[in-house]
Amino acid sequence: MKFIAVLRQVPDNEAKLKIEGGQVSLGGVTLILDGMDEWAVEEVIRLKEAHGGEAVVMALGPERFEEALRTALAMGADRAVHLVAEGYVDPISQAQHLAETIREEAPTLVFTGGQQADWDSQALGPALAEALGWPVVTWTTQLELEGETQAKAKHDLDEGAELVRVPLPAVFTSQQGLNEPRYPTLPGIMKAKKKELRKVPLSVQSKVEVLEQTIQERQRLNQVIDGSKDPVAAANQLIRLLHEEAKVI
Amino acid sequence: MILVILDHDGSHLRKGALEAIARARQLSSLGNLAGLVIGENLGAVAEEARNYLPTVYTAEVGSYTPERWAAAAYAAVQKSGAQVVVVASSRQSRTWTARLALKMNAALLEDTLESSTDGSRVLASRYSFLNRVTEKQAAHLPVVLTAKPNTTPPAEPQGQGGIEALTVEQPGAQVEVLERVAEQKKGVSLSEATVVVTGGRGLGSAEAFAGVEALASVLGGAVGATRAVVDAGWRPYGEQVGQTGKTVQPSVYIALGVSGAVQHQAGMNKSKYIVAVNKDAEAPIFKITDYGVVGDVHQVLPALLEAAKKLKD
Ligand SMILES: Cc1cc2nc3c(=O)[nH]c(=O)nc-3n(C[C@H](O)[C@H](O)[C@H](O)COP(=O)(O)OP(=O)(O)OC[C@H]3O[C@@H](n4cnc5c(N)ncnc54)[C@H](O)[C@@H]3O)c2cc1C
Repeated sequence: MKFIAVLRQVPDNEAKLKIEGGQVSLGGVTLILDGMDEWAVEEVIRLKEAHGGEAVVMALGPERFEEALRTALAMGADRAVHLVAEGYVDPISQAQHLAETIREEAPTLVFTGGQQADWDSQALGPALAEALGWPVVTWTTQLELEGETQAKAKHDLDEGAELVRVPLPAVFTSQQGLNEPRYPTLPGIMKAKKKELRKVPLSVQSKVEVLEQTIQERQRLNQVIDGSKDPVAAANQLIRLLHEEAKVI
Repeated sequence: MILVILDHDGSHLRKGALEAIARARQLSSLGNLAGLVIGENLGAVAEEARNYLPTVYTAEVGSYTPERWAAAAYAAVQKSGAQVVVVASSRQSRTWTARLALKMNAALLEDTLESSTDGSRVLASRYSFLNRVTEKQAAHLPVVLTAKPNTTPPAEPQGQGGIEALTVEQPGAQVEVLERVAEQKKGVSLSEATVVVTGGRGLGSAEAFAGVEALASVLGGAVGATRAVVDAGWRPYGEQVGQTGKTVQPSVYIALGVSGAVQHQAGMNKSKYIVAVNKDAEAPIFKITDYGVVGDVHQVLPALLEAAKKLKD
């Protein structure tokens, strides 16, 4: 069996974002494998360990994405395919290009993150499924293969959850609770350097243009009340401020 | 033609559907409007929908799967020749609209805050980078756009449209639902609440949430939780706020024993006022608070509850 995870590289959670020339500037920012994609990578490695076959990781994005692919290889993926495209490419166009490569690989299933931590998009998984003509399960918290042709999955809805049976091949997107990702080990990192990472240069026309990005943080009052010595006085002051000054209670 | 796909609960249109109609009307220079309701036994919702739209399509396809909804929407797009599709944003709609956009080879504008047109393109703004960045996007037609809840006043009724039933071919491979687990719900809905009181790991135990519940109840608000608290089994997932939970935007968000991780902030950083109680003056949550109390939540929370009760008496 063959299991594919599609991933992205995004700013680290602690990174301070800056805007330059109306766009988010990633210069000097630590970039990491997207946290929700990490769950997807972990899941395909586990599936391969449990059922045999191959765990392949794939990405469509700029040169720098190679690092995130290497992280996934260091975690235990067998090989990587990198469709290299600079600049912004919307998820629908991405899906159209990735689907061609995925179709050639003919996997049992594809996993990707539930929501991208850079573009806040949830579209890649379902758009891939459509491009491939496969069903999709989003926000997956549990997955169990039933042979090679179907799987049982649990996934979150807007409210509540659902247990579904899904014919394979299919696309799944990740949600918290799916697994606890392993850390790459030192031998893993060494081995990853020798694993196959195939690059395919791509020129893609994005259907969506990002005109301008801004950081519109609400100006906060940042008023600090010391509650360590007299918690009752601090609490009274806070309730009074919320009632009289902010007028929200 | 602009197609609005109308979310409903089986008997009534949801608020999101009326907001989506309002969004579609803002784009009316690009074409006439038509609506679509998808599901089963659609008589009542179609009757309601015709009070808002000149044409209402119905697609009786059965219960929800992303594949069925996308197929029904695409049938309506082909029938009407729509070049723009507007839908209320939710996890569910963001799944099937991605399928629809691909079928139409359309641009997808996700979870938009506002939208307009310059005559040939659709322009929209939305949040990105875990809700920290606001970006303007533009796309040529065809366009599928989802509208973030509570960003547009709901549409008022207008005219009296006709109803037309569509035939939709059942898609091939699709998910089969074995079981649905409803969310545990108590009191005020988290997404709609004007006051949210959230407890984090700093509360120390499931029992300590009695105080959080009491404060939320006195203030007429809802209880929220961090992922740490949900993972520990202290609170149900339905209460989780953040990247992988719910997004809230109350008048006041009160975070008790919450560190303020970026993933948590993604679900609450647009709240009007943010309040935090944390014993660590360096906790990241204090960077985004209006009023912060540095102190032990076990001492401050009971005092807050007393003060709030006195205020409300
Ligand atoms: C992909 C991904 C998605 C995620 N999605 C979410 C999400 O949707 N929502 C979410 O919440 N998290 C999410 N997380 C997890 C997030 O990174 C944090 O781990 C989590 O928010 C921490 O929860 P917490 O603030 O309750 O706990 P902690 O970070 O442990 O913070 C506890 C705080 O309580 C304070 N404290 C301790 N004792 C006391 C006391 N007696 N009095 C006062 N203060 C006290 C401490 O100083 C500390 O600041 C996600 C993580 C990943 C990787």
